[in-house]
Amino acid sequence: MHAGEPPLSAIDRVHHRDRLGPAAGECPDRLADPTLDSVESIFAEFRRRLRYTLPSKARFAAELLLREALTNAVIHGSGANPAMSVHCAIRMRDRKLIIAVADGGPGFDWHSQSGQTADSASCSGRGLEIFRKFATRVRFSARGNLVTLVKDFKEGLTP
Amino acid sequence: MTEQLKNSVVTWNDRNAIVRPAGDVVAAQVPELRSTLRDALARGVQEMTIDFSEVEMVDSTGLGLLISAHNSISKAGGRLAVIHASQEILELFRSMRIHQHFPVSQRGGTASGVEQ
Repeated sequence: MHAGEPPLSAIDRVHHRDRLGPAAGECPDRLADPTLDSVESIFAEFRRRLRYTLPSKARFAAELLLREALTNAVIHGSGANPAMSVHCAIRMRDRKLIIAVADGGPGFDWHSQSGQTADSASCSGRGLEIFRKFATRVRFSARGNLVTLVKDFKEGLTP
Repeated sequence: MTEQLKNSVVTWNDRNAIVRPAGDVVAAQVPELRSTLRDALARGVQEMTIDFSEVEMVDSTGLGLLISAHNSISKAGGRLAVIHASQEILELFRSMRIHQHFPVSQRGGTASGVEQ
């Protein structure tokens, strides 16, 4: 721990209640809504907090998971409704990162997609695969509009 | 000829282009990078080299854009490559099987010859 850096528990209860408007970033033709920029504002803080806490490989995995969860909630969860909000809670405790992201959308049928892998030549559909490859545990609510990702960094953190 | 765009620098040499995004290749940045790559395609780019020197993060939307660009360039008879990728990004590309489609290197080079 470096002097001046907040202790691990400081990232506990980081709670964003941002209003994230409509967005569409489907490959290849639709343009993403500028409200994806509001996701970006979270990451400067996220990187700053994790800089001295995790080695670069673990930081990359943590940020990638958070990005996929938030982008998914903005693009697919919130659809075209600017009144929707996305809720995000991030906790880091005992070298275990827990990310929970909820959107106000109708959810999606994660049962039918849980085992699928995108065709490697396809230009979309990689978000879930990234969850499965980079998270220790992935859970969806029954409705499919809340995802909880757990990344356990206890293993593989020794230099 | 070098053009400074909002978030990318494109350097042309004949029909070959080196595109250097100024930051991460993620959902919020993809629309601008997509239009940059489309402009290059419209100008008949043969070898498109994407220089990741300033890129720390790529997400699934960014991966989708690169695959989409690769598909379009291949159809037009050209090639795409990514150079100066970080170790983490290289591992991401490998785990998502992106490297099966076009060369991805931690080192330099161009689409016609990436240093291994």
